[in-house]
Amino acid sequence: MSNNTPKYPNPKFFKAKDQMVWADQKKNLKEVGSIALDMFKHTDWNDVKEARIADAEAFKERLTQECKDVLAMSWAERKDLVLNGEKHLGKLYRNGQMAMVRREWRGIESTAIDFYEWARLWGMMLTTFGNDLIPAMNQLFHYRWMVSYFNAHAFADKLILGLRGNALKMHHELIFAIFRFVTENLLFLAKGDTKNGNSVELSKQTVLLDEMTMGQIMAGFPDLLGIPYQLLPVFLVSEVDQLVCEPYIDAVEAYGLPSDTCPVPTSECGAVVLDALPHLGACFISSSMPCDGSVMASEYTSRRFKDLPTFHLTFPVRYEDESVMNQAVLEVKNCIKFIEERTGAKWSWESYFTCMDRFNQETDYELQKWEVNQTDTPQLIGPAYELFRKWNYEMDGGIDPRVMKTFEKVNTLMMQAVPAHYYANFSNWLANCWGINVLVEMEGLNFTKHLNTSDPEEALRDMARLYERMVMRRHTNGGYQHVVDELWRQVDIWRPEIVIMYQHVSCKNMSTLQGLFDDQAREHGVRLIWIEHDLMDPRTVSRKDMRARVNNYMYTVMQEEPIDPSLVEFDDETTM
Amino acid sequence: MKDLKHLIYFEDLLQNQDNELIKQAQADGQICVGYTCYHMPEVLLNVGKCFSTRLRAPNTGSIDIATYYMSNYTCEFARSVLERAIEGGYQYLDVLAEVDACSAMNRCAEHIEVLNCNTKPDFFCTHLDVPYKVEDYSVEHMAIQVRLRLLDEFKNVYGVDVSDDAIRAAVKEHNELCDVITELSELRKLENAPITGYEFAICTLVSYVCPTALILPYLKETLEEVKARELDPKPWYRARVAIVGSEIDDPELIKLIEECGAFIVADRYCYGSNPGRERIELNDEEDLVYQICRHYMQTSQCARYMSEEKIQQRRDVADQLAREFGADGIIYEQMKFCDFWAFERPLASHILNDEYGWPVLSIDRPYRARSSGQLRTRFQAFVEALEIKRIQSRKEASA
Repeated sequence: MSNNTPKYPNPKFFKAKDQMVWADQKKNLKEVGSIALDMFKHTDWNDVKEARIADAEAFKERLTQECKDVLAMSWAERKDLVLNGEKHLGKLYRNGQMAMVRREWRGIESTAIDFYEWARLWGMMLTTFGNDLIPAMNQLFHYRWMVSYFNAHAFADKLILGLRGNALKMHHELIFAIFRFVTENLLFLAKGDTKNGNSVELSKQTVLLDEMTMGQIMAGFPDLLGIPYQLLPVFLVSEVDQLVCEPYIDAVEAYGLPSDTCPVPTSECGAVVLDALPHLGACFISSSMPCDGSVMASEYTSRRFKDLPTFHLTFPVRYEDESVMNQAVLEVKNCIKFIEERTGAKWSWESYFTCMDRFNQETDYELQKWEVNQTDTPQLIGPAYELFRKWNYEMDGGIDPRVMKTFEKVNTLMMQAVPAHYYANFSNWLANCWGINVLVEMEGLNFTKHLNTSDPEEALRDMARLYERMVMRRHTNGGYQHVVDELWRQVDIWRPEIVIMYQHVSCKNMSTLQGLFDDQAREHGVRLIWIEHDLMDPRTVSRKDMRARVNNYMYTVMQEEPIDPSLVEFDDETTM
Repeated sequence: MKDLKHLIYFEDLLQNQDNELIKQAQADGQICVGYTCYHMPEVLLNVGKCFSTRLRAPNTGSIDIATYYMSNYTCEFARSVLERAIEGGYQYLDVLAEVDACSAMNRCAEHIEVLNCNTKPDFFCTHLDVPYKVEDYSVEHMAIQVRLRLLDEFKNVYGVDVSDDAIRAAVKEHNELCDVITELSELRKLENAPITGYEFAICTLVSYVCPTALILPYLKETLEEVKARELDPKPWYRARVAIVGSEIDDPELIKLIEECGAFIVADRYCYGSNPGRERIELNDEEDLVYQICRHYMQTSQCARYMSEEKIQQRRDVADQLAREFGADGIIYEQMKFCDFWAFERPLASHILNDEYGWPVLSIDRPYRARSSGQLRTRFQAFVEALEIKRIQSRKEASA
């Protein structure tokens, strides 16, 4: 591996001079102020008062109940509570609340770890935004999605709910790396946005990448900033706040889009309709990946930002067929040429090879995780790991040298082989409520071949192969074998007792295979739990509905009882 | 106007996919190649002893089994084709030539293979990887795919002559067919046209479904008949309308619209005359397959093409057709659950209205739309709106 490790992110991105148009900001603030005033005027203060009284009563009731619970415990149970934390996590939710009623008690040591990491996360975020505080904060007054990011800590809490000891430390490391990436890019979006920081200097160096387009191509442009354009205002924030995309979906459906399309491109188009995307960048790399809906969303983006030169990066669908490779490589070459022409930057093989060396090493670490998780004592599972894997594979792609430290720390902790204990979002809920450990998420099982880092032609072919196997595309494109046959192959390797079939209701690529899955699962003797969900619109399928599918299956088919009954049914329709 | 001599015969040919002309061609030893998508170069499926038939699922009733396999929120056309395949309705095919263009049709073809819906010993299904934009290298890619996955397979499995001479002969016959359809189409420009939109749709559809050589004489005769047709004293319609959007293989939809008083004067959809019935002009310098692929890619109006010039082309062609054929408005339609057209339709409908000035009716529809009361009401309302608009513009002109 080369020792050439440029500082990341390039400090000049932070230092790029803003050219904020203050008159426009004043106008915007006035508009925001008038909205706030309207809201104030139209608020029924009696309702507010009643709600606060209800909150106070609920608080009192909860406190009383918790005191009673502790008093009813034996001394051994109390000691366990102090040392290992609480075990009935359903009581942390309250119907109608956007946040959980309080933080989780994890026992002395784990709570201390958690608070340290909580403070570290805040420190990182404040320091990063502190590089250019005004546009960063001003973003709040332009985009509603930015408000949701202020719940980032609540989101982190959700990902680590129920975790203790090393598992907690590992998840915090993973979360920190993702949050750092997000925070830095939020700042860059704010700085470059013509409506906000208006930094022409930064904008000229910025390449916007379409939804789900992998970031590795930017590894060859160390002087440029690649931002996954819709990831922050739409995709990722929907993970932070389940309600955030509803206005976008409603807007574009009111515009005429049918409601059966995938909510990812739908939300992106809605964000375009509502003008909720920052306006910046020297060019835009649009993409045909991963699905038909994504192909079409770029039409809306290019319609909104007519001044943004766009390259459509389109890879062959039948990617296992080597006869398509030439077309794929030409796409990569033309895309590189396009970026060079639009930015004046030059492609650097040295930088690309350095980053891909690192990415290869990160892939090795990932394979180590798989190997451990394929044993009878899986160590690193849960939503933070799933998110990290996808983020690293798609967005980071070996470009940020700091991520290597995250891998090193996590894998060291993992090899200490402590029994794991999980709970958080859906996969952690499965673990804590029913004792179902999610060994692996299939979206994480992507391309693991080492990318060539010595021969430019072969490196381009490898990059094409990598892009063709991006998250959401690897399994859904190029033939049913890539997901149906592949599932049975993975079942043989991981030996799960149950396969959770996440049925994203509007994903045509997957829903067109549901019958084959059912037929062949019976032949293979594999248990499937079909769980419908809607990636971005909880009004279609709520989290509670998703959990009910598991509850029903576990009670009726498996004849099991829950480990934590307080988690079988609770309301989180409005919880972030 | 009197009914066309062959209209009922043509309608009969469309009642069953496996019609008498297909049986006749197969009895003569020809190879029947089924396909659905415009991305598949039709003319190359008619090379040598092969003939093409564009697949439909006429008289579809329940699609429950296909829904079990492909879920209920996927394209009804794809599900109907799969249902028909599972019922054994495509057992007569010798080849299924499909493209990996949209997920629904791709999965449909995959199911036909996996569920072994055609048991002929030499039957095979081929999938072409088709590009998303029209560049020199993507045309080259398409040409490679066509040679590898189609022509080589024809030759290897059935011993089909895929030489340049055979390809040129197929193009010649194809052009002859296109000329007839184009001439019929041009007649729709007349104020008191000798052909209805429904009749034209029937003629166009049989040209896709039946073997070219066998249907061509009937179509030529029909053209002569239409040209000499005795007209009614005044036009029967209340408004002239162009229809654009996703595939329509159901002439009953056209009939439904025309029953509401709208004459379909121009069409821009798959299974219609545009794209699909344009002459293919070949030169002697370039590779024939490359030229043919380029023709199909350049003329394609599929929303899957995502580059800016193709997006603009789709809007411009809709506008140009509507102007040339004297339309009063445009119906922009989309098959329900089609992702490509679901995104394209609302945006293009707004643009055609806001920027091109067209009154636009924007609809999504089921595969079988004939019995839809909702659609009938919307068509009627659109026709009334166009009439009111015309009356008002006349008043303004006279004032």
